[in-house]
Amino acid sequence: MASLGGNVDSVTADRAHMNASITVTANNNYNVHQIQGPEGTVVNEYVSSTGTVFAVAWHGHFIPDMQQIMGSYFDQYSAALQSQEKHYGRHPLNIKQTGLVVQTGGHMRLYVGRAYIPSLLPQGFNPDQIQ
Amino acid sequence: MRSFLPPILLAALVLVSGCGGSVTTSSTSSTGTTGSSSGSNVMAISVNGGPTAGELNGSLYPNGAFASATICSPGSTTNCVTVNNLLVDTGSTGLRVLQSAVASLNLPAVNASNGSAAYDCATFVDNSYMWGPVVQASVTLGGETANNLPIHVISSSATGIPTTCSNGSTLNENTQASLGANGILGVGSEPTDCFYEGGSVCSPGSGLSSPPYPAYYTCSGNSCSPAFITTADQVTNPVALFPTDNNGVIVELPSVSGAAATISGSLIFGIGTESNNQLASTATVFTLTCDNFTTDFANNVYGITNPVTCAGPGSFIDSGSNGLFFPDATGIPACPSQTPAGDLSSFYCPASTENLSATNSSSNGTSKTTSFSVANAESLFTTASTDTDAALSGLSGLNPTGFGFDWGLPFFYGVNVYTSIDGQKVPSGAPAAPWWAY
Repeated sequence: MASLGGNVDSVTADRAHMNASITVTANNNYNVHQIQGPEGTVVNEYVSSTGTVFAVAWHGHFIPDMQQIMGSYFDQYSAALQSQEKHYGRHPLNIKQTGLVVQTGGHMRLYVGRAYIPSLLPQGFNPDQIQ
Repeated sequence: MRSFLPPILLAALVLVSGCGGSVTTSSTSSTGTTGSSSGSNVMAISVNGGPTAGELNGSLYPNGAFASATICSPGSTTNCVTVNNLLVDTGSTGLRVLQSAVASLNLPAVNASNGSAAYDCATFVDNSYMWGPVVQASVTLGGETANNLPIHVISSSATGIPTTCSNGSTLNENTQASLGANGILGVGSEPTDCFYEGGSVCSPGSGLSSPPYPAYYTCSGNSCSPAFITTADQVTNPVALFPTDNNGVIVELPSVSGAAATISGSLIFGIGTESNNQLASTATVFTLTCDNFTTDFANNVYGITNPVTCAGPGSFIDSGSNGLFFPDATGIPACPSQTPAGDLSSFYCPASTENLSATNSSSNGTSKTTSFSVANAESLFTTASTDTDAALSGLSGLNPTGFGFDWGLPFFYGVNVYTSIDGQKVPSGAPAAPWWAY
């Protein structure tokens, strides 16, 4: 299973899973692999110069398959959701743990989100760039 | 931050605001319901803390607008139940109601295109979800009825929910206690919950080789798979199926100075179709791109940058968000993660209330500047009024950079907000729907 925390080959697995097209944008010390599913949802996977997926971001009309894109961090994500303090009312999600950040927003039929591993961010990389 | 206005001032406030509704401050227990709007196209709404508000300790739903619906078997006027405490949500589409509230009606199933009974999976911004069958009902809101309306019954059982629906979330909001409501009344800018940009990718005519998910499913035993379903059979905006006044809604709520125990207002059906729902000359119309518009705040522009992929930090108006959520562009501190009210780190906690403004604009060239306040959320949640004040005008929180501006219910206080429905006929002179106006 692929993706967040996985190696660059996992991006290919995600592309196949989403039945998607892919484009790669090269940056200074990382690449962005953009995967777009046929229903329009876009997943951007941020791959470091050492070949590790350190962040994923998504936007589109459907929330992507979180098990697929969170990879080995899926259980931590799921547990973090469960431990969220419950206040009535709908608002964006902002999970900030030492080893994992997950943020989601939007509204029905246009969802946005990002997840990243703070310790794996390239030097000088601002997580606000992940989108 | 709470205001204690004597009744005579309250009356003046309502008149001056021009907004149908009333305010009940602080410990006054009665709730005024004398909205200035009346007619068959008017439904009473109330920001009253929801169904659990009378219970102990933090169970009040802040900044939720609630309403009642009468739900009947299709075509029947006798086999009916009235369900109260439905959350009025202009950010989603379709009526979703707890199974326990409508079980006695035995509503007929709606089938997907493969001929099997359809199930809907609705997912929300906080990664919570709702699962359950699509059924047909006649639904009356105020004095208007949508016959043969596909609605979503939220299953009380968690059995058989596909993992592509729950998607790692454990937030299955299928009880009153978990949802803080008896259901969600989605009266947003689309005609169904799988419709946008003039079409539905969930319909068999979408051209996709397989059905998108999470959305609609059919099941064999406990095994459920994504399925196509015609647009007409998708969970539908009740307003769009009204015989008249079916092109949108107006939310009218009074202004709130700081906090109020309860406020009452109206949901008006139709825009420009009756004497009581004309598009005000003072209202600015904002056409939508990917169901978003653009907000300029603190020299940052939050809007869709690619209308094809819908990329970019879109901004939106949404009565179902219970605060104003926006990127921290001005250095407002977040609340602590450990407070007497729990982890409030998603909310803002300025030392004192900040009065700010932002400018909304859209691709049709219109713009309007709006003032708003950001109060200390920890104070709002931990002062003695916590259990009694349902309307908190300054409740605000963080939307990460890149996610835009979410104008939740506090935006509606004292401002009439129009939401027109994609594909419906609009008043002459107005741009094609969908749009917002205020």
